Amino acid sequence: MRAAALLLALLSWPAHAAWTWSEPLTVNSVQGAAIFPHIESANRQGVAISGNTVGVVWEDNRSGSPQCYLATKPAAAVAFQPEVQLSKNECYEPVVLALGAGRFVTAWEEAGKVHARVLPGGKTLQLSKTEAAQVTLARGGDSLYAAWAEQAGRFKRIAVASLALKGGTLSVKSVQPVEAAMPADEQGWPALAVAGDGSLTVAWEDRRHHHTVPMVSHSRDGKSFAPPARLIDRKSGRVDGLGAGMGAMRPTLTAWGEQGVVAAWLDKRDFLSGYDVYAAFDPGTRTFGRNLKVQDSFGDNMAQWHALIVGDGAGRLVSLWDDARDGTPDVWLSEWEGDAFGEDAAVPAAHGPGGQSDPVATLDASGALHGVWLDRDEAAGTRIRYARAERK
Amino acid sequence: MKLIKMVLAAGCLWAGTALADPPKDYPFVDFDAGLKAAKASGKPIFVYFGRYGCAWCDHTNKKTFSDAGLKKLYSENYALVYVDAESGKRLTLPSGERITEAELGARLQAFATPLFVYMTPQGDKIMQVPGFKTVQDFQDYDRYVRGGHYKQKTLLEFLGSKS
Repeated sequence: MRAAALLLALLSWPAHAAWTWSEPLTVNSVQGAAIFPHIESANRQGVAISGNTVGVVWEDNRSGSPQCYLATKPAAAVAFQPEVQLSKNECYEPVVLALGAGRFVTAWEEAGKVHARVLPGGKTLQLSKTEAAQVTLARGGDSLYAAWAEQAGRFKRIAVASLALKGGTLSVKSVQPVEAAMPADEQGWPALAVAGDGSLTVAWEDRRHHHTVPMVSHSRDGKSFAPPARLIDRKSGRVDGLGAGMGAMRPTLTAWGEQGVVAAWLDKRDFLSGYDVYAAFDPGTRTFGRNLKVQDSFGDNMAQWHALIVGDGAGRLVSLWDDARDGTPDVWLSEWEGDAFGEDAAVPAAHGPGGQSDPVATLDASGALHGVWLDRDEAAGTRIRYARAERK
Repeated sequence: MKLIKMVLAAGCLWAGTALADPPKDYPFVDFDAGLKAAKASGKPIFVYFGRYGCAWCDHTNKKTFSDAGLKKLYSENYALVYVDAESGKRLTLPSGERITEAELGARLQAFATPLFVYMTPQGDKIMQVPGFKTVQDFQDYDRYVRGGHYKQKTLLEFLGSKS
């Protein structure tokens, strides 16, 4: 325990340095009152930095049906290049992962199955054989993984695939359900992280306890998984003979530090104030510890939405979400300060009149934070906005 | 028709095994089906925004929605819609936007379940009320909505003036 505390302290970073944000850029080239972009995805994986290239994925209905898109820009460029359409049929919840040297792998749900493609240049690969959704990706060293929720009898369950990449060609090496048994209730919204030691962590929403509980499992090889454990430190159970337990949803994961993994999710244990953002740390033991509230007291009486956690091997760790504590939805972030999450800070360009929501983010190799969010305008249409932040 | 009855019966059996789903024996349908039915019938929409395992939803179902008169009142006069606050199931808003049921909670800034939303037959929101409500509460809301009082008064003004 003492060693874990020391590790957390070592992995802390300056508590009072501020982020300096670039002027925001608009990512989507087509907007309109009846065009609705979404950057919803499993593990909220909507932006990645590959070498010096920024990649952003989303879904919108500009063509008359929901389709998925990728837009990229060189880091120094002042505008995004026109987006590339990833899908041909109804498409949802795309994710993007950096492969390095300006290459990306993207994945998405299309026509009820999940697909992936390397860009630029690659061909689309269908990942799932059965009905599937909510795909996510993770990479560590030479290993590349995907996870999704696929139909298994009456319910969906979580499957994890090990992917091979040769040039621009993707293939599926193996697909394994996290649990061999058929699911007893619905599972969904998986998140993946490959820790510094190469082990794989998968978290997901699970309803086997008759309410929504984020569960987690680990694997050393991507094929054999440990029995699922609860991510939340509250037990299921009726209250005065009613219900089954509080709700918690949309777990996200990030690799952190040398061997750690951190999870963040939306949690309704305080049922009168909407979902709060909670986090838990696995310092490398492959066991998550007690749950910590992420947002500060000014956000306590407000529902938080669209939470995610992003970290890196150097110990940087940031959580982002949106809430309407200032009257309309704004994007907020909080940084890990070694023993707790720090004061909430608004993302300047994603704060103020109108609705700014649905953040996704990533840290690049230099420690800069890249954020993407929706800026809603009912008349002019929703813009997808991007900005980069450095610590000063 | 027989098929619809079988599906509804299966839904009731399912509700029996789950906690805090829609109240038993009410004709709740999903959002898209409810919006379509409301447009066709001209009935207002009553959205029950619940959460799987929600204790207060369970309490409301047992204490309030078990009332036979309330069941008749709402079943006959509303397009009844159930939305699962944490579901990834998709629905289509009147604007044409496709979002998940969970995302509808974010749009409504829902901070507690159950949340009850009243809408016009076209899907425009009239009002939303969170938390446990009594039979009398739902009867008052019905008068406010179907009586068209929401066009002139706030709910509080209406409740303050009723006798």
